[in-house]
Amino acid sequence: MKLSTHVQGEFTIAVIGETRMDAAVAPELKHQISQLLNDGATRIVLDLSAVTFMDSSSLGALVSLLKMVGNRGDLIIAGSKGIVADLFKLTRMDRVFRMADSVDAALGAVAA
Amino acid sequence: MKAMILAAGKGTRVRPITNEMPKPMIPILRKPVMESIVELLRAHSVREIVVNTSHLAPVIENYFRDGNQLGVHIAYSYEGYMTDDGLEGKALGSAGGMKRIQEFSGFFDETFIVLCGDAWIDLDISAALRQHRENGGIATIILQEVPHEEVHKYGVVKLNEQQRIVQFQEKPKPEEAVSNLINTGIYIFEPEIFNYIPSGVEYDIGGQLFPALVSAGERFFGVKMDFQWVDIGSVPDVWAATRKALLGEIEGFRMPGKQVRPGVWTGINVSIDWNMVKIKPPVYIGSSTKVEAGSKIIGPCMIGANCLVEAGAEISECLISDYTRIGNMATLDNKLIFGGDCISPDGTVLNVSETQVRWLVSDMRRVLNPSDIHDMMLFNNMLSFYGELAEEAEAA
Repeated sequence: MKLSTHVQGEFTIAVIGETRMDAAVAPELKHQISQLLNDGATRIVLDLSAVTFMDSSSLGALVSLLKMVGNRGDLIIAGSKGIVADLFKLTRMDRVFRMADSVDAALGAVAA
Repeated sequence: MKAMILAAGKGTRVRPITNEMPKPMIPILRKPVMESIVELLRAHSVREIVVNTSHLAPVIENYFRDGNQLGVHIAYSYEGYMTDDGLEGKALGSAGGMKRIQEFSGFFDETFIVLCGDAWIDLDISAALRQHRENGGIATIILQEVPHEEVHKYGVVKLNEQQRIVQFQEKPKPEEAVSNLINTGIYIFEPEIFNYIPSGVEYDIGGQLFPALVSAGERFFGVKMDFQWVDIGSVPDVWAATRKALLGEIEGFRMPGKQVRPGVWTGINVSIDWNMVKIKPPVYIGSSTKVEAGSKIIGPCMIGANCLVEAGAEISECLISDYTRIGNMATLDNKLIFGGDCISPDGTVLNVSETQVRWLVSDMRRVLNPSDIHDMMLFNNMLSFYGELAEEAEAA
């Protein structure tokens, strides 16, 4: 799975480079992000702006990552749109995750 | 007068709805638009109707059969073939479809009306026929005036002082449009029209037949009629039409079922504990549907027959087709649920099977499998955990 990360202040920005987040990428997604957590990142912004499709298994992987983060940090979902945003809303996971329109908005919201 | 209803189109702009239902069968609050058209024809004493079918023909043919139940005679002209894989439609175009019927039997032996099966209308057909006869041409197009900025969606017509048609434009830019009178897809013809339609080829009324009449200098007319014309030509149109009907904005539209409280209509055999469900009208709930305590339905909203709305589900401004289960965690806001697709009014489609959320929204007859139950518990736990956190934060 294509994932690029960079650090901005106290945040780790993880940009998903895949358009499809389905069962084929879910385990890898979980592995790579939990690696970031193990490496000490606690405040992660996950940029989904390139993603055009997501299924329940990838959303489930994000949910278990959120559990891993627990109250030690943040996992903010940024830039979801179209049916990806629909999926978060439909399953009410938009009430579970902190959601932001973009990475900038995510950082701004947290700073404010 | 006799009639032909054009029902052979593939309805590509209404996918995915038209993947399982041809456009004339798309209902506005339970009644297929074509059924409303047949009723209108009958009200104007039109009793013999031929329907050309192609895409998903059996859905239309099995519904209307010979028309007896609606007090008319209906015949079908199927355009396509039976192959080893089943029926394969091959539509002949609107004029080509007319020609095929005429060559088969000479059915059109008097003045006849041709209508598209994709709009709800309340046209005064008798008045239109009178005007057609007064003008005396071979063809009359029923026109409507639209706001200038909407002409780009339609075929535009220019008339001279005698109401004769002198020019056609297909979907012009507003600044180039020669008028704001548009072709509604409703036509009255004399049998002589067949002299202008070639046989055995695909031929279109708007795109080919009328331009041919213009260039032949044939006398034909446009009459501007004032009537309601509720188009269902695209997914946003279907949603808009349903909303209009629910909001009482279609004059003369008969609500299905019975009004059980102000702005709330239901079919029969409905299971709802009214004191435990939050409902904001206007709402229609179909027969044999169960709405569990603790759910929320915000209108305008139409829920089909045999649905299950589970406790906790939130449905706001949606159109839900028959046999849909809406799970307890689902939040549906401005969606059309249709054959396993969750469609936004702008046409984007979330397929519940592809996205594996059938644990949340699916056919209510489908039995949940272990993976559905796993997901359901995972997401439920998450939601209740974070829901409690949010409550604690609020309390603090």
